Amino acid sequence: MAIQLKVNGKTWAVTAEPDTPLLYVLRNDLQLNGAKFGCGLSQCGACTVLVDGRATRSCVTPIGRLGESEVTTIEGLGTIENPHPLQRAFMDEQAAQCGYCINGMIMTAKELLDRNPKPSEAEVRDGLDANLCRCGTHGRIIRAVLKAAELAGRI
Amino acid sequence: MNLMMPTRREFTAGLGSIIVSFSLDPKLAFAQQAAKLPGSLAENRMLDAWIRVNADGSATIFPGKVELGQGITTALTQIAAEELDLPLARVRVLTTDTTRSPNEGFTSGSQSIEYGGTALRFAGAEVRAILLDLAAKRLGVAADTLTVADGTVASADGGKVGYGELAAAVDLHREVTANIAPKPPATHKIVGKSISRFDIPKKVTGGVAYVQDMRLPGMVHGRIVRPPRPGSKLDSVDEATVRAMPGVIAVVRDGSFLGIVAEREEQAIKARQALIKSGTAFRCEHISRLVLLALQPPERPQLIAEDRMGAGSALLHSADVQGRRFEIDLIPA
Repeated sequence: MAIQLKVNGKTWAVTAEPDTPLLYVLRNDLQLNGAKFGCGLSQCGACTVLVDGRATRSCVTPIGRLGESEVTTIEGLGTIENPHPLQRAFMDEQAAQCGYCINGMIMTAKELLDRNPKPSEAEVRDGLDANLCRCGTHGRIIRAVLKAAELAGRI
Repeated sequence: MNLMMPTRREFTAGLGSIIVSFSLDPKLAFAQQAAKLPGSLAENRMLDAWIRVNADGSATIFPGKVELGQGITTALTQIAAEELDLPLARVRVLTTDTTRSPNEGFTSGSQSIEYGGTALRFAGAEVRAILLDLAAKRLGVAADTLTVADGTVASADGGKVGYGELAAAVDLHREVTANIAPKPPATHKIVGKSISRFDIPKKVTGGVAYVQDMRLPGMVHGRIVRPPRPGSKLDSVDEATVRAMPGVIAVVRDGSFLGIVAEREEQAIKARQALIKSGTAFRCEHISRLVLLALQPPERPQLIAEDRMGAGSALLHSADVQGRRFEIDLIPA
């Protein structure tokens, strides 16, 4: 059945069952690479997107429940040429090893900074606590989020 | 490396409950070859397997190690650019491709720079020397009086010739000699500098960065039904139930392999779940051999158990082995 979705400011119609997890529609139908399949169980955070501004695990979010909600993926934040302050800061701090978790780190940090534009280091650690990184890039990731807050403050 | 080493199955099959020692040192595997070349050149001896000089004077390198986020795309480019006397921006990297790249075996164990980097370093030095030799003939001067900047070779009297023009007259399909010494580290201008990794921008903006990001025309989706434990045999499958499910294209059985193919990814996932629930049965007559190596430094590794899971578990709990370190062979044969 056809379901309408609002993703990155555009409305899309996809033919899929309402219980289809948003992640598969983003990756396979909309061909967006940003959200990653990590565990498929809402455990790791690699698939995080924003749904009406809230960091949401797309691997367990059925498309049928989205209704009129606005979905934002990392592609909707910025581009290599015109990056969002978070993307800029992650590049500046070289805050990725394999990089597979970074989508989730950035999207979770986006909600965090929207709520709390000047977080302390402890607040960043706490905010990203449920996003897993197996490479051990945490130190750089935390620095990047703090730097993004600084960059955003200057704009 | 696979060609020289016995497979794990052969390895374990050849063992009784005896003391063994074995080494994963890849150098040993090639010790018998004549004229050993440095790094991964040893198994990939042709110069053009590693480097191509393009008509515009740029170079393309072909590493056989893959970028896993360890930054080797960037580091190997630095190494090649350094030896070729090209700016970083004029060295391109072909991502590892089985039809083109040299076979450097596994990418693991922090060996990419050690082996692949060494190969590109020597290959780069040799390509530069070959181009300079030809430039010397063209310009009528001695090769050691030439300078190179940005892929242009210049003589003291103002003669100039570009890499692209030189490369057109040179066949790099030849064995590496490794007789050309790479630059001494003290003269490095690019190697040793902290360069921003080439792979990060795409990874923070949703660019194509992983194998999962490949989408082929007409691509369908598959899932595998894995047995509950190693050594299991597939007994029965209720194929009819899943064949009727939406989007299911095929149930694939090959011996004890069981897979599902569907038009959409979520359909393959649902069909896989249905296959598991609908009475797919695996029989577990025995467990694949478990190899436990009790390391007892400074003695050599000792194989203390190679048996079914029951015996292995019992062994783990026996007083005899507690407090020692065990390594379990998890790499499938």
